[in-house]
Amino acid sequence: MIKNKFGFALILLVFAATNAFSALSGQNKKQIPAELPPVTDLAVIDMPYDVGGTALLKWNVRPTDTTDVIYKIYVSSMETGGWIKADEFPADARTGKDIDLPFWAWEVSAHEHAVKVELNNFYGEAQATGALFHFKVTAVKNNISCDSQVVSAKTVSNWFRLDRVNNLVLLIVIIIIFFWAVSHAKRKGLFIRRIAGLDAIDEAIGRATEMGKPIYYVPGIGGMSSISTIASAFILGEVSKKVAQYDSQIKVPHYDPIVMTVCKEVVKQAFLEAGRPDSYREDINQFISQDQFSYAASVDGMISREKPAAVFFMGYFMAESLLMAEVGATTGAIQIAGTDSEGQLPFFFTACDYTLIGEELYAAGAYLSKEPMLLSALKVQDFGKLLVMVSVFFGIILVVIGAKLHWDPFVQGILNLFKAY
Amino acid sequence: MSETWMIAGAWIAAGLTVFLFSFLYKDNPFFKIAEHLYLGAGMGWWFQVYVYNILGPKVWTPLVNHDWMVLIPAILGLSLVTQFVPKISWVSRYGFTFLMGYGSGLAIPAGLSTDFISQIGGTIRPLSMMASMTPWAIFNSLLVAFGVICVLFYFFFSVEHKGHFKKVSNIGVYFLMIYFGAAFGNTVMARFSLLYGRFDDLYTFSASKYLYATQIILAGMIIYFAIHGLMNRGKKQAEAVN
Repeated sequence: MIKNKFGFALILLVFAATNAFSALSGQNKKQIPAELPPVTDLAVIDMPYDVGGTALLKWNVRPTDTTDVIYKIYVSSMETGGWIKADEFPADARTGKDIDLPFWAWEVSAHEHAVKVELNNFYGEAQATGALFHFKVTAVKNNISCDSQVVSAKTVSNWFRLDRVNNLVLLIVIIIIFFWAVSHAKRKGLFIRRIAGLDAIDEAIGRATEMGKPIYYVPGIGGMSSISTIASAFILGEVSKKVAQYDSQIKVPHYDPIVMTVCKEVVKQAFLEAGRPDSYREDINQFISQDQFSYAASVDGMISREKPAAVFFMGYFMAESLLMAEVGATTGAIQIAGTDSEGQLPFFFTACDYTLIGEELYAAGAYLSKEPMLLSALKVQDFGKLLVMVSVFFGIILVVIGAKLHWDPFVQGILNLFKAY
Repeated sequence: MSETWMIAGAWIAAGLTVFLFSFLYKDNPFFKIAEHLYLGAGMGWWFQVYVYNILGPKVWTPLVNHDWMVLIPAILGLSLVTQFVPKISWVSRYGFTFLMGYGSGLAIPAGLSTDFISQIGGTIRPLSMMASMTPWAIFNSLLVAFGVICVLFYFFFSVEHKGHFKKVSNIGVYFLMIYFGAAFGNTVMARFSLLYGRFDDLYTFSASKYLYATQIILAGMIIYFAIHGLMNRGKKQAEAVN
């Protein structure tokens, strides 16, 4: 009997303990959502000022956003299911401050989470823009997770990039200055300082005329959209004019057929302006090859066999620069080079008599021709350089003051102004 | 690949390498062979690239699939060919105008962004973290900014470089020369690695497996130059006597 009572009491005790434990654990389970509530204010918008395919998820920063809470972003193209994990990050990261947009295009807020979801990475470019996508955010802490409500949005391609408005303003200022410079150049002319290497052009052409040997003009391997090739075409025009006046010979070996066509017109026009259209020959401009080293090997062969009196290397060059300039130097030709390809300039310095460095090549056409349009373009370039010099000087002063006084928004504002997107 | 083809390839590779290197001695028929072969092969290569990578997939295939929009760029491209027919060569201007307009439209915004705005931002940005910078890093950033201003001034054409302006401009030249020196050294090292590559191949092809390709070609060329030199000397002597 006693045994039975004891057994009954034991069963009761175990039952009571089990109930108490389950009640306690049930209480704990009920408390977890209170500690880690789901995100309730999730919103999704199309990422502003982009080409499309990117959505921006936003929700407020919460008191529970500590380092041990993880946010997982899910995306789906279907009404139900099909969730793909797009991103994952600690809850104390990724606020509005991390969005890479300038102050005039984005209201920076540290009190709001802002996460970009690049849909191209999951659905391909074709599907990412225009289709409806669904998003949810899951907060995770200690293997317990809470889902937010599902939000949906479409992404679109934006016509206007407000974040690049600093580029537009600069472009407008430059255009205004260009028109002012053109008008000024036509009325009063514009001053350009002397460029030493260009004075050697007359000397080189004169030498070639005296020796009765040809002049080689190598316009490089740039296409017609390359600024250095355009500058080279202007210089070719002036060199050809002088060649026509002196009744000397010029040969222009080409890498690019389009550049050759433009140069043919330039040389023909130059001979016409010099009053010597009869001296113009169609074979002045020769197409060689559109393979870089075949072109170099062939020009090397031509230079070494014909031993020209002068060689001009003007335009865009790459690894073939030294191959050609070295051969020209061994033949004893007077060599004048000019390129904006800074990696090749050292080779021209070592192998050529005169070298036009970068911008000097652009200035050369204007300096030689004194054309108002070219002079104006040069003035605009000078304005650009002045702008960079002044901006760097004052920008550094302002940024240093701002950094010393911990004016972070002020420093960020200045950096935004000079940010290319 | 069969062994015969391997050996043939080795002889061609070693031969062309040695032929091109022979230009360092003087212009000669071997170099001319390699030069013209290289030119022809280069042209042939690019022709097939244009046919198979551009004309086929970008023009022919869309046209077969009735995508008539490709006709616009195709006609603009074809207009350039009219340069060969003087009577209708004016048509090519449409193609060129499009090319120039497209090129400028693409280049101007990119140039503004990279050459101006990025340049300024990149120069001043390091100093925005001044609070956490070491004195050496601050000096470094200021030196870069000073260099940028001086180098830009060297390329400033609107004022005569005299007096103080000349001093600033000269400092800019020193900065440029330091950069060019570093670039020269860097590129020369890269070129040496290419040269080692060729030497390594010549060494590989000198093995008995390749029937001593390098040695035989070199010996053959030396014999040719020796005979040619002797014959020329004989001719010159005869001309001198006459």
